[in-house]
Amino acid sequence: MNDYGDVVVCAPVTVPYVRRSDKGAAWWLGSALRRLLEASGLAKRQVDGLCLSSFTLAPDGPAPFVQYVGLSPRFLEFLPTGGACGIMALRRAARAVQCGDADVVACIAGDTNGAESFHDLVAQFSSFSRDCVWPYGAGGPNESFALLTEHAMRRTGATRADFGKLCVAQRQWAQRNPLALLRGELTLETYLAARPIAVPLHLLDCVMPCAGADGYLVMRRVHAEVLGLRYVRILATIERHNAFPDDPIQWRGGWAMDADALWQRASIGPDEIDLVETYDDYPVISMLQFEDLGFCAKDAGADFIRRNEFGPGGNFPHNTGGGQLSCGQAGAAGGFLGLVEAVRQLTGAAEGRGVDGARHALIGGFGMINYDRGICTAAAVLAA
Amino acid sequence: MKAHAAEGRLALQRCTACGNIQYPPRELCGVCLADTLEWRVTDDEPGEVLASTVLHHSHEPAFNGKLPIHVGLIRLDAGPTAIGFLTEACSAGTRVRVTAKLDYRGRAVLSAALAISKEVS
Ligand SMILES: [Zn+2]
Repeated sequence: MNDYGDVVVCAPVTVPYVRRSDKGAAWWLGSALRRLLEASGLAKRQVDGLCLSSFTLAPDGPAPFVQYVGLSPRFLEFLPTGGACGIMALRRAARAVQCGDADVVACIAGDTNGAESFHDLVAQFSSFSRDCVWPYGAGGPNESFALLTEHAMRRTGATRADFGKLCVAQRQWAQRNPLALLRGELTLETYLAARPIAVPLHLLDCVMPCAGADGYLVMRRVHAEVLGLRYVRILATIERHNAFPDDPIQWRGGWAMDADALWQRASIGPDEIDLVETYDDYPVISMLQFEDLGFCAKDAGADFIRRNEFGPGGNFPHNTGGGQLSCGQAGAAGGFLGLVEAVRQLTGAAEGRGVDGARHALIGGFGMINYDRGICTAAAVLAA
Repeated sequence: MKAHAAEGRLALQRCTACGNIQYPPRELCGVCLADTLEWRVTDDEPGEVLASTVLHHSHEPAFNGKLPIHVGLIRLDAGPTAIGFLTEACSAGTRVRVTAKLDYRGRAVLSAALAISKEVS
């Protein structure tokens, strides 16, 4: 049973991101749930499934949260897998609905960002990272991604200007997205002049932590039609954790293990994709997704960036809401951002930035930079 | 590992069941899952730098006076990869020798220095 039958995704919502918040994660997640109810017209008791993702909900977890917001679901998943959680939630919710374990699954992710919460999160991210990365200058994820970026630049010949091209294009999309936190004009010159953070990474390569939440609903098509909701279909999905553990440095992600299966199940190829939403906490990871998901050959990522145009009106619409690099990274919601944007695009809800005639979208997920590499990868192909 | 680092020695875990040498340390073997691990202690370990970075920003005030800090990912000849401090001249492909010591907070930390200076002397 590889196909998802008549299961659909609808009601993309965002609780607008802010740089800092004194609200708790439960406020952000509960507010996303409220927006899902408002967008769908459903009553709370009709939501009988929940997929939840958050880093800052502690000491609460999924069970305290359902009591907090007064839900009584018969299907409950907690997915603390960062950048892969949006697609992982989609996969689990879709199977639950398809197999009858739930009728309506609310998928929500969100985090707060208080004065100390980002520091506390990265300092204690995992045992390996705490003991074997943090003592080396406490650079956090910037430090790990700097090592991966430096290696990828030598492998592909990518330059800072290549990564800057992606960042500038995303900012052009963000200027059309009122939900993006960073909407000021960005030129390649400004990008290149940014101060160094962890060479080769400079300030505008590094995602900005913020607070926020995103969500969507999964249900049967007939149910969405009764509710009058526009929806998208799920053509195929993949997920993989700790792929290629023997690679001494991460030069490919788990997508490379599963991309063939993804396209085979989707019955379309990369050429038929109208928009791509990569996971982009750092631009090097977008380049890895272009390579590993089959948009270009391995090691050809830099050439691919030079040969294509990624902004509004370009031939390869990419991160069409601005991506995390312009929207901000609201913790676990970063794993939902691309999926929610793709659903908006495919349902005609991406006001002011719609990709004309968009039928198919590819979404990538990349989560949990642990010690020397990102552990979780995922991808989905959605159809209008 | 800390006790050895306090004496300036580098300790890696070795699984007595399958021979796997691992880092970071764990309570069982990451390959065969046996918990029969012993410490393989050396003065230093040879390796090669796979990637490097120069930190200009730290999340800990204690490091702010020491910036910029050179850090690399090092493949040890013994098998595992390790993140460590680099002497300034180390970049990808450089052969290094990795040593351990305790840092200002009593944590075991690794440093890599050019292998050549030691091999020549
Ligand atoms: Zn073993």
